[in-house]
Amino acid sequence: MSSPLLTRIAAEHAAALAAQPPAPASLAHRRKALQGLLERGLPTVRDENWRYANLRILEKANFTPGTAVGSADGIDLPAAIEGFTRFVFIDGQFAPQLSAPTGARGAATLTRLQGELPTDQQAFALLNEAFATDGADIQVTAGAATVDIEVLFYSAAPTAAYPRLNVRLGANARLRLIERHVGKVTTPQFINSVVRVELAAGAAFNHYRLQETGAATSWTDTLRATVARDASYHLHLLQVGALAARSTVDVELAGAAASTRIDTVALADGPQVHDTMIVVDHKATHTRTEENFRGIAGGRARIGFNGLIIVRDSAHHADSAQSLKGLIAGSEAEIDLRPQLEIHTDEVRCSHGATTGKLDDAMLFYLLSRGITPEVAQRLLKWAFITDVVAKIDVPALRTHVQRSLASHMLDAQSLQELLS
Amino acid sequence: MLIVENLHVCVGATAVLKGLTLTVPTGEVHAIMGPNGSGKSTLAYVLAGRPGYTVTAGTVTYDGQDLLALAPEERARSGVFLGFQYPVEIPGVNNVYLLKAALNAQRKQRGLQEVDAFEFLGVVREKMQLMQMPETFLSRGVNEGFSGGEKKRNEILQMLVLEPRLAILDETDSGLDIDALKVVATGVNSLRGAERSIVLVTHYQRLLDHIVPDKVHVLAGGRILRSGDHTLAHELERRGYDWVISEAA
Repeated sequence: MSSPLLTRIAAEHAAALAAQPPAPASLAHRRKALQGLLERGLPTVRDENWRYANLRILEKANFTPGTAVGSADGIDLPAAIEGFTRFVFIDGQFAPQLSAPTGARGAATLTRLQGELPTDQQAFALLNEAFATDGADIQVTAGAATVDIEVLFYSAAPTAAYPRLNVRLGANARLRLIERHVGKVTTPQFINSVVRVELAAGAAFNHYRLQETGAATSWTDTLRATVARDASYHLHLLQVGALAARSTVDVELAGAAASTRIDTVALADGPQVHDTMIVVDHKATHTRTEENFRGIAGGRARIGFNGLIIVRDSAHHADSAQSLKGLIAGSEAEIDLRPQLEIHTDEVRCSHGATTGKLDDAMLFYLLSRGITPEVAQRLLKWAFITDVVAKIDVPALRTHVQRSLASHMLDAQSLQELLS
Repeated sequence: MLIVENLHVCVGATAVLKGLTLTVPTGEVHAIMGPNGSGKSTLAYVLAGRPGYTVTAGTVTYDGQDLLALAPEERARSGVFLGFQYPVEIPGVNNVYLLKAALNAQRKQRGLQEVDAFEFLGVVREKMQLMQMPETFLSRGVNEGFSGGEKKRNEILQMLVLEPRLAILDETDSGLDIDALKVVATGVNSLRGAERSIVLVTHYQRLLDHIVPDKVHVLAGGRILRSGDHTLAHELERRGYDWVISEAA
C-alpha cells in the first residue's frame, strides 16, 4: 500500500535512523515495524471503526521524534500524587533527574524499555514501534502490598513523541498506575502512544490514564491488555486534551472469571474531536465487563465512543454491562455512542444503555428557581453529568486532581473552590 | 403581595388555567386545594416561571411588579420561592453549595455583600436542627439518594435559609408520614410573619391542621370556585369537592 502520507513517513523514518543510528537489533525491529505499516497502511475514515476520528490532521503532522535528552529546565511539572513513585519522560525521553531511581522497588521493577514491545499489527502500534526510542517497562511480581507508580509523559517541545509502556503483573500482584500525558505545547504536535498490559492469574491492576495534552496536539494511542484467570483490570480513561484524539483499547478476558471495568470521561469543546474504540473480548467462562462512558461535547466538538463486547462460545456465564451517556452542550456539537454486542453463546447476561441528549430541563429549572443564573446552572449540570464516573477513582488525591482538571473546563474559579471544598 | 387576575395558561394545546383570580395579601397564608388535574401545580409552576407553560391572558403582580416579565432566576432573587412537589436530584452539586449560591444570588440582587462563610454555616446548622436533618446532608449531592420525606424537608430547609417574601409550596405534604409532616409544618410556621406570604398547594386537609391558613381557596377546572376561612378545609374533607363544583356551575 502506498500513499503520499506513507511515503513521507518512510522518508522521515529513514532520516531519523540516519540522524540517530540505533543498535543493530533495534534497527532491525524498527525497520520491520515500518515495513509492516507500509504493507498495512494507515486507517482511513472509510473504515467503519475510524469514521469518527480526525485522521486528516495526520496529513500535516511531523512524525520525527525529538532527539534532545529531556531537560528539566523551565519545566513546570504537575504536582506528584502522594505515595506514588514517579517516573518522568520529557518529549519521549526518560528524564532521570526528575524521576525516582529505576530498578527494583519492592515487588516492582521499572526499567527503560528500549527494545521491542510485542504488540499486534495495529497500524498506529507499528508506527510507534518504528519511531519510538524510549519507554517504561514495569514488572510486578507477586506481593502482598499494592505498588503505586506514576509515569508522567510531558511534552515540552513541539516534536513528535512515541510514549510506550509495558506492564506485566505476576500472579496475584497488585498495581496502581497513573499514566499521565501532559503538554503545554500549543503548536501542532503528533503523539502516538502504545501500552501493553499482561495480567497473570489473580492479579489486580488499577490503571488511571489521563490525556491532558496541548490544544493543537494530534493524539493516538493503542492499548492492549490480556487478563488471565481471576485477574481484574480497572481502566480509568480521562480524555480532555488534544485537538484530535483517538484511543484504541483491546482487552482480552482470557481466563475464567477474569474481569475488567472501564470508566471513561471525555470532555471536548471548540474544534476538538475525541474518538474512543474499546473492544472487550470474553474468551472464558464467568468473565465480567463493566463499561461506563460520560462525554460532554461543547462548541462544534465531536465525540465518538464505540464499545464492542464480544462473547465467545467458550465464555458461558459471561456478564457485561455498558452505560454510555453523552451530553451535547454546543449548538454544533456531535456525539455518537455505539454499544455493540457480538454474542456467540447462550448463557450470558449482557446489558447496555446508550443515551445522548441535552441538559435536563427539570434540573435546569430547579437551579434557576433558586436564583442561579442560566450560565452557572448549565455549568453545574455538566459537572453533575460526569461526577458519578469520576467518583470511581479510588485514589483521593488523584480524584481531586481529576475533579479540578475537569471542573476547570466548566466552572469559574470561585465555584470550583466552593464545590470541591 | 400577590395579585393574580384572570390568568389563562396553556400547556401545549391544553388550556389548564381558565381565568384564575387570586389575591394573597402580605403576611397571610393561603391554601389552594382542589381535585387532581385542577391546575394546582400549573399555578405553582407559572408563578415560578417554568418554561413550557404559556400564559395566554391575564396578569400576575408581585410586590407591585409584573411577575410574568421576570425570568425564573430573577423571580427567585426578588424573593419568590417554589417548594417542588418532586424535588430534582442533582448529583455532584452538594447541598451547601446550592444553598450558598442561591443565598448569594439573592443578596447580590439586594445590593448586599456575599454572606460570610462562618455566619452562613451557623444559620444553616440552626435551620437544619429545626428540620431534624443530620449534618451529613450538607455535603451530599442535592437530593441525591434522599427519601421522599428527606427531599421535602430539604425544600423547607432551602426556604428557611433563603427567607423568601413569597413562598409557594406545591404539595409539600404529599408522601410524608405524620412525624415528617409535623417537622415540615414547624419549619413553615417558623417562617410566618408580617412581611411574608405563603401559598400552600395541597390535596388534603391534614397539613392545614398544623399550618392553619388565613384563607382556603378551591381550585377546580382552572378557576378558583370558592374561597373561605380555614373551616372550609374541614368542610372539603367532610364533603369532598363535588358540591363546590356543582354549586359553581
